[in-house]
Amino acid sequence: MTDGAVYALETRDLSREFGGFFAVNGVNFRLARNSMHAVIGPNGAGKTTLFNLLTKFLPPSAGMILHDGQDVTRLSMPAMAKRSVVRSFQISAVFAGLTVRENIELALLREHGLAWNLLGRIAHHRRVLERADALLERFGLTDYAGTMAGSLSYGRKRVLELATTLALEPSVLLLDEPMAGLGHEDIGRVTQLIREAGKGRTVLLVEHNMNVVAELADTITVMVRGEVLAQGSYAEVSSRADVMAAYTGQAHE
Amino acid sequence: MTTILGVPSAVLYGQLLLGLINGAFYAMLSLGLAVIFGMMNIVNFAHGAQYMIGAMGAWLLLNYLGVGYWWALILAPLIVGAISIVIEVLLLRRLYKLDHLYGMLLTFGLALMVQGAFSNWFGSSGQPYTIPQALMGGRNLGFMFLPNYRAWVIVTSVVICLGTWYVIERTKLGAYLRAATENPMLVQAFGIRVPRMITLTYGAGVALAALAGVLAAPVYQVSPLMGADLLIVVFAVVVIGGMGSIMGAIVTGFLVGIVEGLTKAFYPEASTTVVFVVMAVVLLIRPAGLFGSKLEAAQGQPQSGLSATAPSMRTQTLIFLALACCLAAAPLVVYPGFMMKAMIFALFACAFNLVAGYGRLVSFGHSMFLGSAGYVCGHAAKIWGLSPELAILAGTATAAMLGLVTGWLAIRRSGIYFAMVTLAFAQMVYFVALQARFTGGEDGLQAVPRGMLFGLIDLSQPANLYGFVLVIFLGGFFLIMRLVGSPFGRVLKAISDHDVRAQSLGFETNRYKLVAFVLSAALAGLAGSTKAIVSQLASLTDVHWSMSGEVLLMTFLGGVGTLYGPLVGAFIVVAMQNYLAAFGQWVTVIHGLIFVLCVLAFRRGIVGELIELWHRLRRTPPAASAALREVVVAPQE
Repeated sequence: MTDGAVYALETRDLSREFGGFFAVNGVNFRLARNSMHAVIGPNGAGKTTLFNLLTKFLPPSAGMILHDGQDVTRLSMPAMAKRSVVRSFQISAVFAGLTVRENIELALLREHGLAWNLLGRIAHHRRVLERADALLERFGLTDYAGTMAGSLSYGRKRVLELATTLALEPSVLLLDEPMAGLGHEDIGRVTQLIREAGKGRTVLLVEHNMNVVAELADTITVMVRGEVLAQGSYAEVSSRADVMAAYTGQAHE
Repeated sequence: MTTILGVPSAVLYGQLLLGLINGAFYAMLSLGLAVIFGMMNIVNFAHGAQYMIGAMGAWLLLNYLGVGYWWALILAPLIVGAISIVIEVLLLRRLYKLDHLYGMLLTFGLALMVQGAFSNWFGSSGQPYTIPQALMGGRNLGFMFLPNYRAWVIVTSVVICLGTWYVIERTKLGAYLRAATENPMLVQAFGIRVPRMITLTYGAGVALAALAGVLAAPVYQVSPLMGADLLIVVFAVVVIGGMGSIMGAIVTGFLVGIVEGLTKAFYPEASTTVVFVVMAVVLLIRPAGLFGSKLEAAQGQPQSGLSATAPSMRTQTLIFLALACCLAAAPLVVYPGFMMKAMIFALFACAFNLVAGYGRLVSFGHSMFLGSAGYVCGHAAKIWGLSPELAILAGTATAAMLGLVTGWLAIRRSGIYFAMVTLAFAQMVYFVALQARFTGGEDGLQAVPRGMLFGLIDLSQPANLYGFVLVIFLGGFFLIMRLVGSPFGRVLKAISDHDVRAQSLGFETNRYKLVAFVLSAALAGLAGSTKAIVSQLASLTDVHWSMSGEVLLMTFLGGVGTLYGPLVGAFIVVAMQNYLAAFGQWVTVIHGLIFVLCVLAFRRGIVGELIELWHRLRRTPPAASAALREVVVAPQE
């Protein structure tokens, strides 16, 4: 809050060390509210580590993380989800042994106060069923409602994961390489879904696909060797010589 | 005579020496376990049995072939190692891509078979093995007398441990081994035959156990079960040290031995339980173990797997009513005593399945809930004179409390470590039951009164008793059915599928696991309390690790993660015990064989296979390949 603004997420001198190697090194990162923000960088730049720190998947070695101006450095992943900060995973994370419908219903349980209901039935809660129906419809999964999530195609798993994440109506959505492993057609679809999802909420994505980044993101952070190299719009960032050097240097290795 | 802190110094040194000797065996065995686990990701539950074969082998060689100690020291490990190589090639090799628990189950089955067969052939009493001529006698060190053989054991085991450490950490062969542990594909691509290396590693690890067995033969009594109890302590050692490091296994082994020795000198009553207390403390402070890496304790390889689609509610209700009618009518055809026993075990197995099947937390220590509840219920009914319903309540509550404490500690680890931790706690409870006064020790609590239920119904009437057991079973089963179908059950299944994802959706997964564990413990306790009232006996059998093995067998045979599987499994296993009782120890061998067959041929269990067949016949997509734990371990990044 040094300059008066409150950010959806903010880091102060955030570091993470793995056996002497700083994957993230003193990063000061700010995620503005209602922005669509992408973190890019060559392999090993520390993007995923930063992401994992922000989402509490990893504890930081040093530094601070703030959510809406409040210190959340020590909070757990579920606690972050309860603060409406929700992430997706690089390797698509669905509950393989549940049906598509059950996956989505699961995400709705907490909000409807059912997570600790030990003896009831989800089928008795019409509101949950209706909302699940609506989400299935919105994400084009209605035909697959009864399919086991584990047997979906890769692209559909991604869509399901996104649907499950958005079922929580998060205020901050963190997407870890949402396009990884997707074919051309799916990329268009998922891009569209993310754009829609971004309306009225803050989105942070780590992504390798530059077309997608250019199309979606209003702000871009470039990371190299655990540090922030540049930040700005796509045009600003892509015109910078040091950014190009970082990328081409990587290409020559 | 000098004393140290009130203990005569001679006693102290004597116990320290004994501790060192025990530590030497812990170190050698946990070292072998660590080597095998590092290479194959299999917790070799047969390790204790293989150690026993080493000792028995030496004894057999001497008594039947006249082969002496020194030759046995070479021959026994070679023979046992060779046999284990055959086992690896024929059996274990099929399991590498599956959940690590399958390896543990299969080797558990093998251990049961071997121990059962040896008990059958040689009886379970100990056989003496004389110290070889060259190592007889001893020397006076001034402050104590040191028998030569004991010195030899300690020196040999230190040399072997350090030698193994040197080979693995400092030689080229060891470098290949470590590399293959990290990335077998890559090492394979370098032209090294990884499968053969794995086979030889298993052989070497087992040979190490057999060697320890031969060394142990003159120290302990040689008996078919000498490895079984020792192995559980070794598991605790492994949990304390962490399985990641070779040196860690060695150091922890000796340390635990010494701690045990010191406890024996200063506070003998706690000497059998101190290891498990240390384990609990380590779990509390450093869940990954003293030498374990921090990351390894973190859970969350995304895993696909298990869980059946529940049939519709109406179908479920119909099946439940049919079941109730069958069980109510059964005494007309079947001996009621059998039915009651089977129902009690079925409840026990269903309770176990709640965590093992739906929560993917496979406990190897569920006997502690059955047994401790039985003791408390029996004590309450007999000594305090409580009515049966209150006595059962007391037993159930005890099991729930025990579940809360052990579960709180155990869920810090997952998978095979969870299995080992629960097994170790159960062993601790066993030792407490063995020593405590109120349990009646070896005799158990006998003549527990059945009493008047609610002061009205006389449970000594057979019909009343049967109805009582029936109601308890159906009530417990109904509760489990509702739990599994509830939103909570859904969350539990999701957690077992992908713990981290569930966390990211805002579920504090450990709390759910703990609640499931406590519920499972309470229901197991309900079964145990009822058992005490029905059989009018609470005994060590119910807290022994073999009881945990039985409930595993029932559940996996019937179908883990299916609602009715544990029920079917329990009836089959109890029937086997009843009708095969004449075969004595061979029943254990049959149990072991069933374990092996289940793991190799039908991992879904009977009910799981039937569900699968049903889906195939109806050409519906196999509902998440129904009901099973056909978990393929995700490749590590």
